[in-house]
Amino acid sequence: MLKKLVAVIAVLALLLALPALLSESMLNASVQMLIAALFATAFALLCGQAGMLSFGHAAYFGLGAFATVHAMNAFGGDGLLPTPLMPLAGAAIGLISGLGAGYFSTQRTGTYFAMITLALAELLHALAPHLKEVFGGEAGISSFRMPAWGFEFGSTIEIYYLVLGWTVLCIALLWGLTLTPFGRLVLGLRENSHRLKFLGYNTHALGTFVFALSAAFAGVAGALQALNIEAANYVVLETQVSTAVLLNTFIGGAKVFFGPAIGAAAMTFFGHVTSDLTRSWLLYQGIIFMLVMMYLPRGIVGEILARFRGEGGAVNPVAVLARFAGILVAAAGFVMAIELTQRFFSTDYKAARQAGGWPAVEFAGHMWAPFAPLTWALPIVLIAAGLGLVTFINRREARRQEAQI
Amino acid sequence: MLKTAMCCSALAIMCAGAAQAEPLQVALVETLSGSQASTGLLYRTAAQYGIAKINAAGGFRGEPIKFVEYDSQGGPVGAADRVKAAIADGARVILQGSSSSVAGQISEDVRKYNLRNKGKEVLYLNLGGEALELTGEKCHFHVIRTSPNAAIRFQTLTKGMKELGLMGDKVYSINQNYSWGVDVQSIIKANAETVGYTVVGETLHEVNKIQDFSPYVAQIQQSGADTVLTGNWSNDLLLLMKAAADAKLKVRFGTSFLDQPGNIGNAGSVAEGNVMSAPFNPELNDATKAFAEDYKAKTGHYPAYVEPYAVFGMDMFAAALKSLDDATGPVSANEIVLALENTKIETPVGSLSIRAEDHQAEMPMIIQEVSKEAAFKVDGTEYGFKPLKVYTGADSADPVQATCKMKRPG
Repeated sequence: MLKKLVAVIAVLALLLALPALLSESMLNASVQMLIAALFATAFALLCGQAGMLSFGHAAYFGLGAFATVHAMNAFGGDGLLPTPLMPLAGAAIGLISGLGAGYFSTQRTGTYFAMITLALAELLHALAPHLKEVFGGEAGISSFRMPAWGFEFGSTIEIYYLVLGWTVLCIALLWGLTLTPFGRLVLGLRENSHRLKFLGYNTHALGTFVFALSAAFAGVAGALQALNIEAANYVVLETQVSTAVLLNTFIGGAKVFFGPAIGAAAMTFFGHVTSDLTRSWLLYQGIIFMLVMMYLPRGIVGEILARFRGEGGAVNPVAVLARFAGILVAAAGFVMAIELTQRFFSTDYKAARQAGGWPAVEFAGHMWAPFAPLTWALPIVLIAAGLGLVTFINRREARRQEAQI
Repeated sequence: MLKTAMCCSALAIMCAGAAQAEPLQVALVETLSGSQASTGLLYRTAAQYGIAKINAAGGFRGEPIKFVEYDSQGGPVGAADRVKAAIADGARVILQGSSSSVAGQISEDVRKYNLRNKGKEVLYLNLGGEALELTGEKCHFHVIRTSPNAAIRFQTLTKGMKELGLMGDKVYSINQNYSWGVDVQSIIKANAETVGYTVVGETLHEVNKIQDFSPYVAQIQQSGADTVLTGNWSNDLLLLMKAAADAKLKVRFGTSFLDQPGNIGNAGSVAEGNVMSAPFNPELNDATKAFAEDYKAKTGHYPAYVEPYAVFGMDMFAAALKSLDDATGPVSANEIVLALENTKIETPVGSLSIRAEDHQAEMPMIIQEVSKEAAFKVDGTEYGFKPLKVYTGADSADPVQATCKMKRPG
């Protein structure tokens, strides 16, 4: 327990100190990471803890964003709802719409539940472009963060602390919820809802309420995004937003409390860094998700926690390091192959070929000719060596464990 | 020894930095990855071409322009993030064009940044976001649109088709149900009386979701229309034309985005005879031919779709910078905007200028039809766009929207 407390305080201290350590651009990325983390944690309350897979959480995130933008324009940062309290508007609309949507969708479970959430979100997504007054048409609705409580809310640092405050508060509330009897019931809903019903609990009401809570916190995340970008556009209701939070949650680990938050922060950071470096970053993101699902089904954080608890035998640090090295080498080879292929098929290359011949392209500080054997042999060798190393270590470890038995 | 050498070179770099002015930094914030990247990449090619031309002519105030690309990851949220990053990295000019939703976000972000950072203003050059409100209620001093808009496209299209005898009396308006399509529909209806046609039917349909347009084609057939006007783009245009051909519907289409790469290749003979109003045609004169060939030599393909007017927008920017080139030191965004308002350039298609009231560009528009006789074939087919009629910038201009209340600095 003490260890956990120290860890939480250390993370909080680091988060508080970030503005002093990071550049403006990175601080802005941190704001996005915090918002994604809160959204994923809210989503995981429903998907991870209550075991109800929603495909339509963009709806509540988006409604929170739009409610906030309208509230910002209506109150002007003053009166009943000053700028720092704006996310309450997102929470309220999330809660109300979540109660309505939850009432219908939790009538069913499993695939049918997922389909209903998807349908409701798509309904909103299809409706939004037609309601120009509410959703602002193609150019969206914009607003302006007005000064309140003696703060300007103009700089990224101020908005960072505002988002940090709300994210920490909301994640703390969600964490507190897991410790209450209600939180236990939510887990019961996931593990065996029939038994819960036999025990006399109203599982439909329970499910509706969990759904509404999850939607309310998703609404807060949407509100924070609206505050950050001072605008809302109906593209926030797209399926892509629903899928992104789902991927983030599962990459982190849906069933461990901090997994989704860490997964979301990591993937947002990944997108922020790689999207300026390569056009293929979405491909890499997809491959990471696939690999995590295939080899780390409990998510990255879930898997690490399981190892710390000693599941799957004692950890051999040398083997772990060697595996990491193998994966890195193979990944380097793979990235090289993809990047070179992408460059050779790009329009830039087509333009460069105007002069005739097959010019070399630049990658990682070196020039690579399209028909030089090394250009393609190197990535293949790297992939083979990396995968070979991992296989070798795996076999050796398996033999060792067998010998121990 | 090595250490002193390093010290010296570091000093030299610092000295050089102090002696020369900071180069003007231009940031392209576009969708460069994902499913919507194709148009973003066209703007990137055009912007690169434009910047290379400025730098080849000596850059700006003795320094080459620094051009940096940012990937907006497809939506307004990513774009907002990238605009902040670009400004933090020192960009004073933002370029973007592929989507009006992103344009709306960037335009507002720039407005707010400039309000909060007086004296460090940033300019947003909107190369292609065509939503009317961007020069209407959302207009402001630091955003300039160098592309046409719904009003410009459809006023010239209807007038041109009528004058060329390509417009029947009965017009059917079919458009996508969002702000762009709604704008187009209202312009088609508003022009009916002045140009002289009757709108016999109108439809607004879902955007990029419909796979089978035959029910809509049946409606068009029933209405007895001989001309279909549509602002549809991408699949919504392609599938509509194909469904009309399948039903053997005898109508002529008047469109705005028929030249999107792949459209003609996909539609083939179905598109023949259909008309489009667009700001460029390579066949028009020697200057347009020379431009098309030069563009091909530099980028590997003829300029198409959004590229020509994005390049002309960059030429406009280059001309404005040239008028400010005599001074030294950094340039302010306000100076560039004022220079842009006072600049008039001759593009290969005709003169281009920026209207001071709402910062909408006034440019020539060319009525053209899909024909086998076109000199420049597209998509590897036997078809191309044959120019029929040119409207000058003054002729094609739309009135300033009453909703635009621009606050000028000082």
